Amino acid sequence: MKRNSTTSKLIMGGVLLVIAAAPLFAESEYLIHIGTLILLWAFVSTAWAYMARFGLVSLGHGVFLGIGAYIPVLLFNYYGISPWLGMLAGVIAAVIIAAILGYACFRFGLIGDYFALVTLAMAEVVSLAIVACREITGGSLGCTLKASEGWADLQFDDKRYFYYIIFAFLLLALYIWRRIDKSRMRLALTAIEESELAAASMGVSVIRFKMGITLLSAGLTAMGGVLYAQYVTYINPGTISGVGVSLSTCFKAILGGMFNIFGPLAGSAIMVSLEEYFRVSFDTGFLGVSEVIFGIVLLVMIIFLPRGIVGSISKWLNKRFDAARS
Amino acid sequence: MLEQLLMAFINGILLGGVLALLAFGLNLIFGVVKIIHMAYGQFVMLGFYFIYYFYTAWHLPLLVAMAGGIIVMGLLGMLVQLLIINPLLDAPRLNQLLALASLIIVLENLAQVVWGADYRGIPISMPIIQFGDIFIRSSYLLAFLGAIATLGILYLFLHKTYFGLAIRSVAQDVEMARGMGINPKVIYYITLAAGGALTGVVAAFFIPIYTVHPHFGASFTLMAFVIVVFGGMGNLLGGFISAFIIGVVTSITAVLASTEVADILALVMFILMMMVRPQGILGAKA
Repeated sequence: MKRNSTTSKLIMGGVLLVIAAAPLFAESEYLIHIGTLILLWAFVSTAWAYMARFGLVSLGHGVFLGIGAYIPVLLFNYYGISPWLGMLAGVIAAVIIAAILGYACFRFGLIGDYFALVTLAMAEVVSLAIVACREITGGSLGCTLKASEGWADLQFDDKRYFYYIIFAFLLLALYIWRRIDKSRMRLALTAIEESELAAASMGVSVIRFKMGITLLSAGLTAMGGVLYAQYVTYINPGTISGVGVSLSTCFKAILGGMFNIFGPLAGSAIMVSLEEYFRVSFDTGFLGVSEVIFGIVLLVMIIFLPRGIVGSISKWLNKRFDAARS
Repeated sequence: MLEQLLMAFINGILLGGVLALLAFGLNLIFGVVKIIHMAYGQFVMLGFYFIYYFYTAWHLPLLVAMAGGIIVMGLLGMLVQLLIINPLLDAPRLNQLLALASLIIVLENLAQVVWGADYRGIPISMPIIQFGDIFIRSSYLLAFLGAIATLGILYLFLHKTYFGLAIRSVAQDVEMARGMGINPKVIYYITLAAGGALTGVVAAFFIPIYTVHPHFGASFTLMAFVIVVFGGMGNLLGGFISAFIIGVVTSITAVLASTEVADILALVMFILMMMVRPQGILGAKA
């Protein structure tokens, strides 16, 4: 960030204030629903970008989303265990899996595309495993969360509750982002991204720092999975684990700009609203037309805005600032 | 049980031949253009639909419809190069991956819009050959022989023609090839056209075996990936051998357990290979 920090703090505060106040002015339940989805995916893709902005591009966050979504739902459906405890179990399970997979990847020095492809395969393994255990999970038909109401079971009829709960989680994710920015971890990971060998020879523990950021990202992503399951109340291996959701998570962050704290939020806002807009306006006639247009828009944006939207805007603003100063 | 396993083994070998053809295309594109064609399996799906369409809507003879499908897929391959790969040649790897991944969304839904979500196929009954207790479907055998013949033609094309030499030199060293008066862009177009036409060929061999639906391609993309990495990315011979290994392993596992377990096993083999030996079974250490 070249701009002085007061400006960026003002922008940040403004954006968050608008998000906090939005439900008061929303005209319909539907708009709040869209807002909730935006915040939810913003939370997940922000957690994804923790890793990605240091060059650890994972295409397998569906692993953690799937674990986070399925464990609390199954615990609640079969044993009536509160989703809060379920969330704890899901996050712990995701972190353990992330520790095993992450250690294996980093120990063998997988970086760049190889890391991306291996994580992509892992996402598909988890999705297939959920389908294969069909007696417990319902297989590819998915499974529905038993209906309930109240804070203990984390289910509400009023959508505003979810909006603010998920907003709180997003704030947590943004806060952690800021903490990472100010920590030694950022310096270490930037050095590691430049050259692992050079970083290691300066005494930076490569595996330890990479593991740290991976576990953090996996844990938060699993929380996102829990929130998704509680809000949507229906989960399906095709929509919450596997290749599709893993890719769409990084689409959101990349379109917004994964190097900027608000990039994933902006990307989620654009993707979710575009998806909804096309769905509502085209799918009355043919099924699938909206998705075709959506895919084409994605393609065009990836080709012409490789730095993401927030990235491109902030680059342009910086140029303007520099021009004005000189 | 033993006969069942033996039959699974034979089917694995036969299907491995077709998978080898599919992996060959992906491998060629990776080796030459240095791009991972994420939507390759979806191309097979489209090729299948085009042949189906030419056969049912235009009432062309089956072989002509197949030839038409192969040509259309070759042209589509060039279109992908023109519209998607060319603008992204210097972009970060991740953007290339994601652009081709969003092509998957476009192609699968386009197929759904045009042909609907139903299973489509051309009903062809082909005899079953019997050797003692072993039954072999002649459609598999035909696909296998055809795939091997196509691979032979491709080998000759790469090693005996000027264009083949140019393709191999671009795969080895783009700058040097440019210095020798080869225009890499032209070679990229030829490679994508060949890769596209190959998906048409694979689709033609699949016609007597499968029925097609919009999400038909996804599992083949994955399979082709696994095979290519197993044999070493860019290594054509390695890909050929690993196609048979993967074909046999998945086909036997599918008999012993289930198809999901077979897919999981293939993916786990892929992950372990990436970690322990990223250069593949035949690759030289980089």
